[in-house]
Amino acid sequence: MNRVSANDFRKIKKRIASITGSAKPTVDVEERRPGVVTFTGKLDEWSKADLLCHYAGKRKSVRGVVNLIEVNGKSLAYKANDKLISQGREKGLIGKADLVIVGGGVTGCGIARELSKYKLDIILVEKEADVACGASKANNGMIHPGNAVIPHKLMAKLNVEGNALYPKWAEELGFKFDRVGSYVCSYDKNDWYIPRLASIAGKINKVSDMHYVDPDIFMKKEPMVYIKPRRCLYTPTTAFVDGYEVVVALAENAASNGVKFMLESQVVDIDMEDGKIASVVTDKGIIQTKMVINAAGVYADEIAAMADDQFYSIHPRKGTILIFDKNAKGVDTCVNAYPKVRAKNSKGGGMQRTVHGNQLWGPTAEEIVDKEDTSVTKEEIETVFNNMTLINKNMKMSDIITYFAGVRAATYKEDFIIEASEKSQGFIHVAGIQSPGLASAPAIAKMVEGIVKEEYLSIFEKNLEEKEDWNPKRERPLAMEDLTDEEKDKLIKKNPAYGRIICRCESITEGEIVSALHSPLPVLTIDGLKRRTRVTEGRCQGGFCEPKILEIMSRELGKDVTTISKNGHDSFIIKGKIRSREEDNLHA
Amino acid sequence: MLKEKVDVTVIGGGPAGMAAALEADSLGKNTLLIERNPSLGGILQQCIHDGFGLQTFKEQLSGPQYAERFIEKLAKSRVRVMTDTMVTDLKEGRVRGQNPKDGMVDIESKTTILAMGCRERTRNQIFIPGTRPSGIMTAGKAQYFLNLEGYLPGKKAVILGSGDIGLIMARRMHLEGIDVEGVYEVMDHPGGLQRNIEQCLHDYNIPLHLSSTVTQVFGKNHLEGLEVCKLDKNGDPIEESRRYIACDLLVLSVGLILENELSLKAGIELSKASKGPLLDESFMTSLPGIFAAGNVSIVYDLVDYVSQSAEFAARGAVNYIDGKRPVKKPLPILPGDRVSLLIPNFYHPDYKGDSLSLYLRVTEEKFKAQLSLSQGGKLIKKIKQLVVRPAQMVVVRLGKEELSKLNDKDPIVISME
Repeated sequence: MNRVSANDFRKIKKRIASITGSAKPTVDVEERRPGVVTFTGKLDEWSKADLLCHYAGKRKSVRGVVNLIEVNGKSLAYKANDKLISQGREKGLIGKADLVIVGGGVTGCGIARELSKYKLDIILVEKEADVACGASKANNGMIHPGNAVIPHKLMAKLNVEGNALYPKWAEELGFKFDRVGSYVCSYDKNDWYIPRLASIAGKINKVSDMHYVDPDIFMKKEPMVYIKPRRCLYTPTTAFVDGYEVVVALAENAASNGVKFMLESQVVDIDMEDGKIASVVTDKGIIQTKMVINAAGVYADEIAAMADDQFYSIHPRKGTILIFDKNAKGVDTCVNAYPKVRAKNSKGGGMQRTVHGNQLWGPTAEEIVDKEDTSVTKEEIETVFNNMTLINKNMKMSDIITYFAGVRAATYKEDFIIEASEKSQGFIHVAGIQSPGLASAPAIAKMVEGIVKEEYLSIFEKNLEEKEDWNPKRERPLAMEDLTDEEKDKLIKKNPAYGRIICRCESITEGEIVSALHSPLPVLTIDGLKRRTRVTEGRCQGGFCEPKILEIMSRELGKDVTTISKNGHDSFIIKGKIRSREEDNLHA
Repeated sequence: MLKEKVDVTVIGGGPAGMAAALEADSLGKNTLLIERNPSLGGILQQCIHDGFGLQTFKEQLSGPQYAERFIEKLAKSRVRVMTDTMVTDLKEGRVRGQNPKDGMVDIESKTTILAMGCRERTRNQIFIPGTRPSGIMTAGKAQYFLNLEGYLPGKKAVILGSGDIGLIMARRMHLEGIDVEGVYEVMDHPGGLQRNIEQCLHDYNIPLHLSSTVTQVFGKNHLEGLEVCKLDKNGDPIEESRRYIACDLLVLSVGLILENELSLKAGIELSKASKGPLLDESFMTSLPGIFAAGNVSIVYDLVDYVSQSAEFAARGAVNYIDGKRPVKKPLPILPGDRVSLLIPNFYHPDYKGDSLSLYLRVTEEKFKAQLSLSQGGKLIKKIKQLVVRPAQMVVVRLGKEELSKLNDKDPIVISME
């Protein structure tokens, strides 16, 4: 591996001096291994650390940036969780696998599904109570065309390839896929270059069929846009999906093809023998394995550290998204236009229609230090809202039915890292998967498949064999909304539960809920059910139906209501029973 | 698929729907009452406190008791009740929906009475920043858990908003051993009725913090605490008043939203102020043959008013079927100074009823208040009230004599001095 060039190293040192004050720099930089710069020390503001690491990340000869800088007592440095490690070790060996995937987002589940066609024992370990609990659920569902990525990056290649593979995924896995196209617009001398850049990047990245359209035609297509732009670049390949629907589809198909899912299990350590992977320690016990795929999203740097191969830091970047009531009218495609403001370091976000018909605005982009920080501030909501109302005045604050934030798992090189570890045999990095990670997922899965084949050959000294009975198909769960009245009537006669609407805002029936609860991948939480069926996702946000849903879950899963949670851990809905009820139980 | 033809279809089996169906039936119309839950009564079933029916029955009843009176009457009537049925579509004299027994349901109906009531405003609509843990719920949901299921939603609660359900839940939770830290209200006056402030908070020493709000939510999985804060005159947080409260339950009583999704889908015109259907004196909406009863059009304080409004709507529907609709051009009834919402919104000069009730809300608290109803600058009626409050609905009744004073061209205006 090449070392950081002397020139680049000097520049980075100079940058440290200018940021921290040259007299006594509080930050130090070292090249602990070839091509990798590691920052240590203290700073008073996170934005300074971010500036510095990004600066280093932009140097050509720098392969990776590790940020150990402390700001107000917080940092991205990996700290072993000794309590959970000893808890996991005490529980001992709980399973064996040929391969362990860490992380159940779109990346991990995509890989699991791709690899499920081989004769491999695969365990996917996810620390949350469901798949798609990180960035895979909290995004705008956009399948980017590939013209917003800087050319020659790995993510540019995988984005365009991934976009092209999506129709096949959608067909095989039965999820909603709307190829509606997108517009990138400019208004004045401050933003003229935005469609221009997209056009140039798109051409280099080989995005097909991009073209400029007459702003008048754009205004006719999108009558809810208020100000006419000067230029509009149209990209027909842009599409939308529901991020969690995709992940659930992948996970269910993987599960049907034999992949085991360990939910609410956290990987806390990785054991090595002679530079080779030996086992994975989770808080629930130890899994023996020779191969590990690190698809841990914002925690990928920590998992890499456990395998003695951390050469990057994942710096969380938060994005806030607003969702509007279906009755609020907006755009039909995706419109990226910022007459006044441009979000930094992001694809920019915009206004779009989700596959379910709600308007979605956002996301923003904010560098943060806490990987779990998905909180939303009033200012963030107002920023998104005020930016977008510049071009669409039709929407009101009161039309917002929900808002949330997702955290992008970015490296300071701002690119994907997909490669077999040089240091630890059997360990595969799939890190830095941020936007356009959802769009790239099919291509990432393919690329990892290739790496796994090679690694398998070198570890087991034989070729991977395909299963004869692999089934790439996953049936789309029956959705009442897709049926005609006659079909609905027939179904209800067969199974009356499909006649009982539980979630009135989204018109979801008891039949659909029960079917989701018994799908190939167990659904253990209210949020998990919500993601699969959209119950509680409408305008009343579960005000009416949540008690009924608890009752159905309790009945179908055979669990007491007090043990049913919103999203795992201790997020229970019910804290106990009232006195008279407890007495009833005593007498019973 | 179940197909039927009826005179009157009532959508919603709460207090409004039950009263409307009974009235239409008593006037001889073939009536169908549709309810989405497995049993009738609507939200009354979880309101186990008393104070219902003082006007209608001259008795202090609990919610379920009040509902039971109507359910018993319905059992003796010819009204056809269809429970467990969700109406999904309302178009051109057809009411469509589904239920587990009949499958899809398609009703051809001469008239329809909307009685879907309202739902509660959620956390997302009032923008409380912070994390999104469990342990945050609307007062109605907390009430459902406690009163209908016997479940405790938490051990230590903060209530945001001083709407009536919130106040009633403060007392209810206190009685079940939940530590109620206090009630926080953004406005400088309570949102609920004075009697509930006395009986639900003061009697149990639960503090009410006016001009205060929750400014941050903490807790990754389950609610762990809140930051509360006092607000200055402009509604901005007073920094030094920020305070942390450890708690595991946040109950929201921050207003009600009228359930008009079906109305919107049908193309009914809604009032910009109340977000409910614009109604004439017979409680007919902008779509001929479709009427509205109860809280779907305006939030009433008392269930008695809800029942009354439903009877108006039912009589209107019956007159519509019998071809007894007024034909003259309707006059608007407009809120004047210091009046925020009112119902009905239109008056036909050739309306033949004996009396007309106006339901309205004022914008500010006033002692020895004077309201006046006028038309074309001419005073028709003066109403004196000892005290009026925004939280308290004012009912103005016009008798035959006053109605006869109205001309048939000028808008009617009601205002407070």
